[in-house]
Amino acid sequence: MLGKNGPVVLILALLLLALYSAFFIVDQTETALVLQLGEPLGEPLGPGLHLKVPFLQRVVVCDSRLLAYETPPVEMLTADQNSLIVSAFAKWKVLDQLKYYLNVRDPAGARSRLENIVLSELRSELGRRPLIEVITASRADVLGPVVARADAAAREYGLGVTDVRIFRLNLPRENEQSVFAQMRAERQGQVRKYRAEGQEESRKIRAAAERERTVLLAEAYRKAQEIKGQGDAQAARIYAEALGQDPDFYDFVRTLELYRTTVDERTTLFLSRDDELMRLMKDSGPRPPAE
Amino acid sequence: MSFEQEEKEQQPAAGPGLTRAGRVLAALAGLWKYRPRLWVVAVLALVAWVLSGIFIVAPDETGLVKRFGRYKRPAEPGPHYHFPYPIERAVKARTNKVHRLEIGFRTVAPGSSSPFQAVPEEALMLTGDEKIVDLWFVVHYRINDAQSYLFHLADPVRTIQTAAEAAMREAVGRGKIETALADGKQALQEEAAALLQERLDAYESGLKITYVLLQAVNPPAPVQHAFKEVVSAREEKNKLLHEAKGYANDLLPQAKGQAAQVEEEARAYQEERVKRAQGDAARFLALLAEYRRAGEVTRKRLYLEAMEEVLARAGRIILNPDQQAVLQLLPLEGSDLRRPGAAAEATAGGK
Repeated sequence: MLGKNGPVVLILALLLLALYSAFFIVDQTETALVLQLGEPLGEPLGPGLHLKVPFLQRVVVCDSRLLAYETPPVEMLTADQNSLIVSAFAKWKVLDQLKYYLNVRDPAGARSRLENIVLSELRSELGRRPLIEVITASRADVLGPVVARADAAAREYGLGVTDVRIFRLNLPRENEQSVFAQMRAERQGQVRKYRAEGQEESRKIRAAAERERTVLLAEAYRKAQEIKGQGDAQAARIYAEALGQDPDFYDFVRTLELYRTTVDERTTLFLSRDDELMRLMKDSGPRPPAE
Repeated sequence: MSFEQEEKEQQPAAGPGLTRAGRVLAALAGLWKYRPRLWVVAVLALVAWVLSGIFIVAPDETGLVKRFGRYKRPAEPGPHYHFPYPIERAVKARTNKVHRLEIGFRTVAPGSSSPFQAVPEEALMLTGDEKIVDLWFVVHYRINDAQSYLFHLADPVRTIQTAAEAAMREAVGRGKIETALADGKQALQEEAAALLQERLDAYESGLKITYVLLQAVNPPAPVQHAFKEVVSAREEKNKLLHEAKGYANDLLPQAKGQAAQVEEEARAYQEERVKRAQGDAARFLALLAEYRRAGEVTRKRLYLEAMEEVLARAGRIILNPDQQAVLQLLPLEGSDLRRPGAAAEATAGGK
């Protein structure tokens, strides 16, 4: 059906294909390298529309963003021979795609190079410091040298390392267990302390209160005796004042009172006829004693 | 397809190609006769392709338009148009939304009684005093700069995740376990947020941390029981002290009451003694006044009245005893005097 137009359509199709192969787009997040017969040609290209020789040249593209490489958990020794299990990440990017292509070729290759570089620098830095410093020091201080050295080593491959951070830091299993045991023991010590303090302080409070009570009551007793004494003294004064006005009369009246209260049916009285009281009896004879 | 158009547009300029172009046209015209539907499909495809350039940026998004891969211009929320692919492309980032990242745990069943699942590798951290703490936290962040977020940093979520873990471990590593468990939570959050933000800025990530929030800080599972025991021991201590104070607070008012009572009784005694003395004194003075007025008579009277009573009450009255004899026979001291038989003896010895 195409008949005489056939070759034309074919040429057209080939032209289209060539055009398609001549243009390529590099994304904002990429850089590209043009390869001719497998060899890189020219400088790496940034984002935009570019031209190349169709069919003969091909393009290899790589991510130009800041990428991350994460190490697996690795055991490292500190300066004081303590073990730590470290997981770190490195932030890296492709700085020179040409070098990158020539030395590393692809992300897998980059990761393997980075693993070597980062782990060895970390190990050496951590090996310089004691355990406590690794845990407590500012990461900028500890990791700054690591980043600098890792970056320098990575440049050889066209890579740049902008950061290395430790995102997991743990003790090996057995050490962890012994830390737990120590924490438990410490807490038990605290428990004992609280219990002992509780007993002691509550005893003190009770004793103090009881002491205060004793003092209070003793004071009250003292005061009471004082008051009673005052009462006695006052009474004595009143008596003395009144009775002192005629001591003999008082003696007389009081003695009569005494006789009245002390004499009862068991008392025997001895009276002489010469008693004034008995003088009327002189003639009448003695009163027979009651039986 | 666009190359086809380009070809056709270039035709008027190229002279020698006219014959060929003419033949192409003739061929295409020929195709038109044979395949009308092909053209309809082609035109429709073209329209669809042109329309594919329409895109909408949602209210919480920012759009970025790339031309031939290179960033060209931003796009605010609303409907927009870009030249269809491969000329232009739009990418979007949710810049107005607060994104949330969980570290140390994951919410697996929201709303239920145990909505969280622990992630121990993330949660267990070393403290500055070489102890271990179990820490769950949440990072809230926004995409501040869509350009940086989309073009500078690969895998931003994983970046924040690892950087956040690193930052929190650094913050926790600086202090003791007590600070993390008790009063240092606020400071920890702020420090971790600051460290994280500093890193994210260094990475030119375009991300802004809104805040870091500690969801839970606990002693690790194997020692939790021991920690709880400390809390109950402390409570026990407080209870003992409370009881002791209660006892003390009870005792003193009671004692004061008793003291007051003792004092009152003493006063009552004093009062009584004085009043009694006053009474007795008054009675005596009254009598004395009478005596002074009619002395001898009063004296005699009082004496006889008393004797009347005394003699009437006395058990025995012995008249005219020989004092010496009585003394020999009767033991005047002591209760023997009260023996009924003594009277007969007295009579015998008396006369």
